[in-house]
Amino acid sequence: MIKSLLLLCLLLFPIGANAQTVLRWGADPSGGAPYVFSDPAHPDKYVGYELEMVEALAAAMNRRPVFVPTDWQTIVTSLERGEFDIIVNGLEPTGDRARVILFSKPYYVFRLQLTVRKNETRINGLEDCRTRTVGTLGNTAASRLLEKEGLNFKGYEDPVGAYRDLELGRVDAVLMDVPMEAFYARPSPRLKPAGEPIQPSYYVIGLRKGDEALKAEVDAAIDKIVNDGTLERILRKWNLWNDAQLELRAKPANGATPAPGEAQPNEALKYEMTNATFNWSEALWRLTRAASVTVLLSLGAMVIAVTLGLVLAVGQSRGPAWVRFISTIYVEFFRGTPVLVQLLFLYFGLPRVGLAMPGWLTALVGLGLNYAAYESQVYRAALEAIPKGQYEAAYALGMSPVLAFRRIVLPQALRIALPPMTNDFVSLFKDTSVAFAISVWELATAYRELANASGEFMLLGAIVSAFYLLMSLPLAHLARRLELRLQRRQALRAVEAEVAG
Amino acid sequence: MISIEGLGKVAGETRILRGVSLTVEPRTVLGIIGPSGSGKTTLLRCMNGFERISEGSLEAGGVRLEAVLGEKEYQKRVKLLRRQVGMVFQHFYLFPHLSVLGNITEAPVQVLRQPRAEAEARALGLLETVGLRKSWSRYPESLSGGEQQRVAIVRALAMKPEVLLFDEPTSALDPRRSNELAVTLRGLVEQGQTMVIVTHSMKFLEDVADRVLYMEAGEAVELGDTAQILNDPQDPRTQDFIRHAD
Repeated sequence: MIKSLLLLCLLLFPIGANAQTVLRWGADPSGGAPYVFSDPAHPDKYVGYELEMVEALAAAMNRRPVFVPTDWQTIVTSLERGEFDIIVNGLEPTGDRARVILFSKPYYVFRLQLTVRKNETRINGLEDCRTRTVGTLGNTAASRLLEKEGLNFKGYEDPVGAYRDLELGRVDAVLMDVPMEAFYARPSPRLKPAGEPIQPSYYVIGLRKGDEALKAEVDAAIDKIVNDGTLERILRKWNLWNDAQLELRAKPANGATPAPGEAQPNEALKYEMTNATFNWSEALWRLTRAASVTVLLSLGAMVIAVTLGLVLAVGQSRGPAWVRFISTIYVEFFRGTPVLVQLLFLYFGLPRVGLAMPGWLTALVGLGLNYAAYESQVYRAALEAIPKGQYEAAYALGMSPVLAFRRIVLPQALRIALPPMTNDFVSLFKDTSVAFAISVWELATAYRELANASGEFMLLGAIVSAFYLLMSLPLAHLARRLELRLQRRQALRAVEAEVAG
Repeated sequence: MISIEGLGKVAGETRILRGVSLTVEPRTVLGIIGPSGSGKTTLLRCMNGFERISEGSLEAGGVRLEAVLGEKEYQKRVKLLRRQVGMVFQHFYLFPHLSVLGNITEAPVQVLRQPRAEAEARALGLLETVGLRKSWSRYPESLSGGEQQRVAIVRALAMKPEVLLFDEPTSALDPRRSNELAVTLRGLVEQGQTMVIVTHSMKFLEDVADRVLYMEAGEAVELGDTAQILNDPQDPRTQDFIRHAD
């Protein structure tokens, strides 16, 4: 019986599972052209020059490639966690990464291209961007260069967002690797390259520390496809070939192939993009700035929420039928859909109708609109809690409905609404973290970016949490105190009503 | 001066008041008695426009409401009426977010546009007459029921109404406080105040009212001098009610 089962297994899984080991490789396919991306014609299928290159590498290694889609920002962490064995994603061998992972030998020489709007005349190179904002991908060679040069830059999740914001005027220029620039910016009639490509550097494959055997295997495979023309064929097919790639070839003239992983870069390539160790004081300063963005964002959004919420509440409880209808639709829409979706809509959808707000304003308005729906219900409950007698007493004194509402009802309702609103403010404060989705550099985004750059997830996490708590705990405490005061007052009133009755 | 003619009130299918006619002379107090649901509170609420009259007419403080008036004109007159007719509610309805002084000065400042200092000086004078001058800065929640009532009276008086309406003013008072209230109200009448008081307390009526109206089932059954109604009612329904009263 057991024997026949084993036999069956062998029949079902012939050699594939045993003889051919898999090669799990990770890359971020979102906005990943031309490296690896969803084929627009067949969205279920991935294409890209790196995908084809990995297939060639895997064939040389006698392995079966398995693609693991992942997120660029966390790609190094995911590799360390063992979600895949190698990173093939246009990875640049930067100093900070070298401390946590291994690099293969380079397989591609790339440069950075600055792109501007077609009608741009002031910007011809990076030096013209001193007083301007440059968009790029977060956590890349380009972003590191901009940081090192002390330029004001904005890190995006994907190239699409960066180039779109350039077209919309949210940034003044975009600096990105030529392959991406060629794919995403060159076809746009509204963009043009500014100056020549700069800053040559390499793409390498990333491996876990200690995976020396795999590294040797990968390096050998790279050597093979670089020297036998396989890679050139792939690159030419993707229109990515240039003579700079020849530099990676073995030099038979002096007889010695460079040692694996030590392909000597020429002088122009020696530029080390960042070899600085993680700068803690700078990180804290950036976190502090990000925290102030978070605070300003919450305050601004709350002002909108508290003002618009009151209008909605009054509209919903006092307005004519059509106002009531619109207010109700508004409230149900904003409460019934995720705030993230609303933000993405405002950020990506509205520019289609000619309303392109910068990210921070979008987040401020979006969160304000969202929380207005919640605050309106707080107001409504508070307004309903005001006894009818208060209106009658005001009317009996000759007050008009508007005056009675403004002077008698609203002040009392505000007192009732204040504690739940303070609580809402605390949660709004935390909700500002969704703004990272539209590239607003607030506290949560800062954490993600810094932690990914440094690998200090624990320590930075603790610091960022402390930042949040420092700001939210006093508020929560205030809400609790206001609530207690209100309860005491109400209890007192109830007792007195009983005594009086 | 109040004058009511053929006043009727219908709410949906229910007839709450029918054919009520009466007059209240200036500087006098009319007491309204009757069983629960007899329509006495509704009649009182018609007198300051909280209830719209369905039939007949009502004139108070020189403002005339007629059932036949269009809604807009009616509401316009109600606004005028409320300047002339003040009300002290059974549960006072003081504004909890305002101090005693704030409760009293709010309407004179906001509605009559009196200068605040003037309104406050007058409020303090009125508080003096009810023995609460020292409490001007307190908040309603810290006042006893009797104190709250006196603040409510002063709040209404601050608008200098020609007529003052009271709904069940003694319901929250013990007999001694009740007497004190009677003394206070008589003092106001001496100064020229006209009042209408809905009450259940015969003792209080005796102390305060000049004339008494007995109501039942939405009708004005019997109207007469206080002593006559309490001691020698003519209508059998009034007789029955007085016999069973405290």
